[in-house]
Amino acid sequence: MEKAIKILVVDDDPDFVESVKMMLEDRGYEVITAYDGIEGLQKVKESFPGLIILDVMMPNKDGYAVCHELKSDPQYSRIPILLLTAVVSEMSKTTYTHRMGMEVEADDYIDKPVEPSELVKRAEILLQKI
Amino acid sequence: MLKDAKILVIDDEAVIRDGCFRILVRDGCRVKTVENGEAGLKLITAEKETFDVLLLDLMMPGISGMEVLDALRGVDDNLIVVVITGYATVELAVEAMKKGAYDFIAKPFTPDQLRIVVKRAMERRILQREAENLRKEKEKSLKDIAYEKSRVSTIINFMVDGVLVTDRESLIVLHNPAATRLLEIESLPIINKPLSQCINDNNLADAVDAALNAEESMYLEISREISPCKGEGVFFLRADVAPVLDEEGRVMGSVTVLHDITQEKELNRMKSDFLTMVSHELRAPISAIQQQLSVIQEGMAGSITAKQKNMLIRAKERTKGILDLINDLLNVSKIDSGIVVQHKELIELEDVIERTCQLMEPEAEAKGIKLSMEINKSLPLIKADKGNMEELFINLIGNAVKYNLKDGSINIRVLREGESLRVDVSDTGIGISEKDIPRIFDRFYRVKDNQTRMIVGTGLGLPIAKGIVEAHHGSIQTNSKEGKGTTVTVFLPCEKE
Repeated sequence: MEKAIKILVVDDDPDFVESVKMMLEDRGYEVITAYDGIEGLQKVKESFPGLIILDVMMPNKDGYAVCHELKSDPQYSRIPILLLTAVVSEMSKTTYTHRMGMEVEADDYIDKPVEPSELVKRAEILLQKI
Repeated sequence: MLKDAKILVIDDEAVIRDGCFRILVRDGCRVKTVENGEAGLKLITAEKETFDVLLLDLMMPGISGMEVLDALRGVDDNLIVVVITGYATVELAVEAMKKGAYDFIAKPFTPDQLRIVVKRAMERRILQREAENLRKEKEKSLKDIAYEKSRVSTIINFMVDGVLVTDRESLIVLHNPAATRLLEIESLPIINKPLSQCINDNNLADAVDAALNAEESMYLEISREISPCKGEGVFFLRADVAPVLDEEGRVMGSVTVLHDITQEKELNRMKSDFLTMVSHELRAPISAIQQQLSVIQEGMAGSITAKQKNMLIRAKERTKGILDLINDLLNVSKIDSGIVVQHKELIELEDVIERTCQLMEPEAEAKGIKLSMEINKSLPLIKADKGNMEELFINLIGNAVKYNLKDGSINIRVLREGESLRVDVSDTGIGISEKDIPRIFDRFYRVKDNQTRMIVGTGLGLPIAKGIVEAHHGSIQTNSKEGKGTTVTVFLPCEKE
């Protein structure tokens, strides 16, 4: 296997981060972790991951805001983002867009909790796009 | 005509008195006779009974007939007086008529002559009485109207909700103090001014215009949420506007009722924030547990035995059950607080259904169930919340999978029926017995028997489906045969092209 692709996992729940990390590491990816939005943005700049798996509900900048910030920065806008949502995704996204007046342009959405096989499948699709 | 007519005869001649008495009593009159003016006046003024007709001799000892006529003025103006003149002098009769007598009869007279005169007098009397009744009635209804008017205006003025009435030209014709307070109108009076000049909010003026131009529809009500504040603090009003129609259904004006919903909105927002918070706090740990179970189960944290794996699979089923319950409870409270419909847009329902089917495919496949679709071409659009529609069909197709038999099938049909889009979700499952059908839309109701015992469910799926359909002004029904299968049919109103 060539040099491992880096995936950044951002979620405020350490148990959640750990299990996702194990799922991805099992497939040979290198996993970096962050536990809130600000730390997440910092890690993106430090290590330029190939994919970001991002939770929506987080302290210190939620997932939507992080997503918006990255997607409007030409330096990082091409990094695919997989948003982790806890409620039915379609609804919370439209409500959010309405309330905050900003477009959320994640590349894909996945509901929590995630099945290992489903997560890996979605991640691989996004990684192939680059 | 003469029956029960009350007649008084005043004449000094006994022959006349007796004659009149006999003739008139035979015709059913009730007759009294007196021999002089004093006695006559006494009867008329003192007695409780009133007379219809007075036959009055003009030439009498004591006070004369003329004097009796004078005395009667102001005492009983309704009494019809016929004077009896001894000499048949026209002058005297004319003078008597000037004093208010109605007719005269000359002595001597025949019974028929008397009858004709009394009959004519009675006709007059009846007409007079009817006119009197009409006048009284009119007076009474005018009084009623005045009373009713003041009562209605008192009610309107004391209402907490604002009331605003305009004419056809959208000029304000009536309003209560609450309306001007809620709309923050300071430049009073506003009567006869155009509505759009009096309020800050165009939304309301537009709604009123729409109601005024609603000529073709017999009944219409427009409900708008408006926020007319200019000063500090934000508040919201719900304005219900309806046209006022005349008897032929033409629009005469509009009536608007304004209701302050600021607090309701605030409560709704708090409730929804609270629900979101609770959902996150409950879901997060369970999601984490379930995901950790997945990692162990898949051997990503080291190898496990088959027995351990089986237990993990069952544990995961239980945590999934809790997550489903949380989701369903959230949805139920959303429906209760009326916030189920988040964002209505024009959608192609068949797309949503197709996508939902793809989503459910793996679950169906695992049970060997065939999913098929019959979708008619060029279906109309509907106005709906996409998320709600997904939720609805995940629920219905999910049930069709859950309660199906191994190797069964599910067929989904989408077609237009009148002004509605009709969707049938049919399965070949265990079906629902007749006694259970009326209760399946009840919350937490689940059919419990040997076949359903092993099926995990919350008993909230169908109530949620019903809530969603009803929030979109549609209807939902179930047809089922035990052991044969169930068809759930949803009707949703099409958008007019």
